[in-house]
Amino acid sequence: MVNKLEFLRRVPLLPHLFDSWLRIWIFLSNPQLADCLDEIETEVSGWKGIKIQNHKYGGTEFSFNHKEIGHIHSNGLMDVLLNKTIKMQLLQEGRISNHHVFPNSGWISFYVKTKDDSEYALGLLKKSYAIRFERLSEE
Amino acid sequence: MNESPETANQKDKTKKLLLGLLVSNIVALSIIGLSNYLVSKILLDPEMDVGTTLVFSEFVIVPLIMGIISAWFWRDLGMKGKYYTGYSLINGLIVILLSYFFLSEGYICLIIVSPLVFGFVISGAFIGRAMFRKKNNTLNVSVFALLVFVFVTDSVSEHRYENMVSDTMVINAPTSEVWKHVVAYDRIKQENKYWLFKIGMPSPVQTTVDGFYEGAARKCIFSNGYVFDEKMVIYQPEKNLTFDITHQPKDPEIMGHIDILKGQFLLKDNGNGTTTLVGNSWYRLYVFPTWYYDIWAESITRNVHLRVMDHIKELSEHK
Repeated sequence: MVNKLEFLRRVPLLPHLFDSWLRIWIFLSNPQLADCLDEIETEVSGWKGIKIQNHKYGGTEFSFNHKEIGHIHSNGLMDVLLNKTIKMQLLQEGRISNHHVFPNSGWISFYVKTKDDSEYALGLLKKSYAIRFERLSEE
Repeated sequence: MNESPETANQKDKTKKLLLGLLVSNIVALSIIGLSNYLVSKILLDPEMDVGTTLVFSEFVIVPLIMGIISAWFWRDLGMKGKYYTGYSLINGLIVILLSYFFLSEGYICLIIVSPLVFGFVISGAFIGRAMFRKKNNTLNVSVFALLVFVFVTDSVSEHRYENMVSDTMVINAPTSEVWKHVVAYDRIKQENKYWLFKIGMPSPVQTTVDGFYEGAARKCIFSNGYVFDEKMVIYQPEKNLTFDITHQPKDPEIMGHIDILKGQFLLKDNGNGTTTLVGNSWYRLYVFPTWYYDIWAESITRNVHLRVMDHIKELSEHK
């Protein structure tokens, strides 16, 4: 479904509009999830060097040193950039899945649905942050 | 008596929240009013009907600007995303209510437009939230200037969009029988199935004709009593009935939004006692962006077709 509608992402502002509709849906139907997403954003915004902005395809993007570490769409779907080694380890845990558009990359997807999921999501973002932080230190 | 810091803080927060709602709505109404005035009276030939065309900018750029303005007033309040969404929903609701009272829009139109307004007001609020977080005034001014530029360019551009919707149905009756009910038909008594008709959008109920010949007048009567005047321009019994719409009602739900231009019924004898009936309608849209409104226009036109064609099928099959 996502792959079939992928071309729509290129229509200017359409991904933002779609994400706003998701925000409304979650606000009305599942306000606890909206709280979880806000908590993730608040927590990550406190990490040194993290910048928060709108993602080009809708949602909230977290970047470190001008490079994206991950983003969350407003329905709780979070995409995080790791590396293939960590991705394989995490896939065995069974909570994450291959990225919904780029399955063969280092990106992973994870759905935040509960408070427990938001803790796990923070852990994933922390892993990505650590990878970028380490790379920056090496440079 | 001095008020406590908490009370003063709360009052300041409430003031900024309300200012975000108030100023964004005043700016939105001013932009729409001013642009309609400038476009229709000054920038373009007054005889052109451009002033009544609701352009892309009015449904996209204006709500985005509203969201950005409200985010500017809310920038120091430390509000979480959930509250931005909630207050932006209130903001969208206010502008929709103002449109009902000041722009005399019908409630069906407002239901149709509301997903776009709510969506872009919220998008604007989150774009603004990200912009004002960066505290980069050059960027902020550039984004605002770009939006104003797009708005002005779009407002003075010519907008023209026409489309045709076609529906096909097989009827278990010969063309001679189907034709009798195509040209004119008795009142439709079946319950409406389409959700917009159920909540009050007028649906077709009856068609009458002055005569059975090319050039004769035809009237399509809707459930609220409104009448579309038509003229039969092609009259080929059992094959083709094509009619131009010569006058459409001044209903606020359609006035200035859509013109139905032409309608057509084509009949094809399938050679086995059945008939393929094709219903075609041509319309011109005055509301933009078409990638959004044409979805609605197609859906409504299709359901008008199906209501009439289902009725013709029932009459033809139960002669």
